[in-house]
Amino acid sequence: MPFMSRPKTQIAAKTFAMLMCAFLLTATTGCTSAKSEMHTTAVNDPLEPLNRGVFAFNNALDRALIEPAAKVYNFLTPDFFRAGVQNFMRNLRTPLIVANNVLQGDFKGAGVASARFVINTVGGVAGLFDVAGANGMPFEPEDFGQTLAVWGFGEGFYLVLPVIGPSSLRDTAGLAVDTVADPVRLYAFNRDEEWIYYTRGIVEGLDTRARLVTAVRDMRRNSLDYYAAVRSAYTQKRRSLVRDVNPDAPKAQAVQYYDEGWE
Amino acid sequence: MTITLSRRLMIVGMALALLLPAGAAMADKRDDAAVGFVQKMGDIALTELTGKNITGKEREGRVRELLRKNFDVNAIGRFALGKHWNTATEAQRKEYLSLFEDMIVRTYAQRFGEYAGQQFNVKSAKAISERDSIVNSQVVQKDGPPVAVDWRVRNNAGNLKVIDVFIENVSMAITQRSDFDAVIQRGGGKVEALLESLRQRKK
Repeated sequence: MPFMSRPKTQIAAKTFAMLMCAFLLTATTGCTSAKSEMHTTAVNDPLEPLNRGVFAFNNALDRALIEPAAKVYNFLTPDFFRAGVQNFMRNLRTPLIVANNVLQGDFKGAGVASARFVINTVGGVAGLFDVAGANGMPFEPEDFGQTLAVWGFGEGFYLVLPVIGPSSLRDTAGLAVDTVADPVRLYAFNRDEEWIYYTRGIVEGLDTRARLVTAVRDMRRNSLDYYAAVRSAYTQKRRSLVRDVNPDAPKAQAVQYYDEGWE
Repeated sequence: MTITLSRRLMIVGMALALLLPAGAAMADKRDDAAVGFVQKMGDIALTELTGKNITGKEREGRVRELLRKNFDVNAIGRFALGKHWNTATEAQRKEYLSLFEDMIVRTYAQRFGEYAGQQFNVKSAKAISERDSIVNSQVVQKDGPPVAVDWRVRNNAGNLKVIDVFIENVSMAITQRSDFDAVIQRGGGKVEALLESLRQRKK
């Protein structure tokens, strides 16, 4: 893995990783490394019966409420409006992305994300326009789940969270840390304006779901076991994001080509 | 001693210097072929499969023809069945491959039937093994960001075939294999469970 070759951050990260390992994963399967997972297509899912239950609940909720809302949103709003919403939401996330870039030892990524934040906030009307993206500084999502992976944590096991959807033990821990550290949340709660935080959550969720309308419909229609197909797709996607952390690596390297099973 | 060593290194270095450009040029040529192959396939698909004035049956027929010409359907099918290929009987394998092809044909006929003006741009290719290259392309939608589509193209003595498609870094072959494996496992480890599920889909 390219990101394993950063000696300076490695020492601190290793120590911290070991502490976290002892603390975080004692109750579970132990610390399988993120490295070994990169070369397999297998997904560890010991809680499958429970996960399938939560997945069925999420799916019912989605069909009854979330998907119709996303379709209405797509129908009622023009493209430029939805693009503006996404840009604004991404801009609000950027401080957290910078923090994760730094924790991953990806200082180049942190630089790009910081520049994006300044350029889009100042020149893009408080983040409504992605001026930086149009000028060769694309948005790169980073979260604490990915940071934990860079530090060597394995996924632990696959987990379906209520309402939120597919995750893993590691990504759930990452989500918890990102939530606690989220500047928007801190700001809203400090000012006793919690509605800001909740509104942001709903808009972000709607925006994400609205972009997935076709993909989800395709997946439901074309899979025999929708749960298993989503589990595989989610895991592949997360692993590709983790492989992506090296800023010097060409984009294509984020795809893993498996030779097992090909003639 | 040191002189011989550095001389040896020099010879190795010179040899490498001579070899490298040749190797790179060969890879370039192969990459160009793969890019051209995917571009041509995309162009044909967009002109022949997206028309609104053809029947569903016609579209399926054209998809099947294009699929057989450009994809190694049997290799993909085998991969998608994974370890269960070994436990399947000869008759089961035959039926499975036929049902698998039908499923892909239906899926893509439906997708092209819903075509809404997306554009297809092939960007570049990169050799990843002796026979295989990855061709990077983008599907540009009218609304929303472009979708990254990568093609794993296998070169069998000049005969090019797609063996996997990655949509936003998610391999269709691997997703399919997980899907099929789950169906078989939940059906008591029997390949018959998958065949039955695929037969149901056909109806």
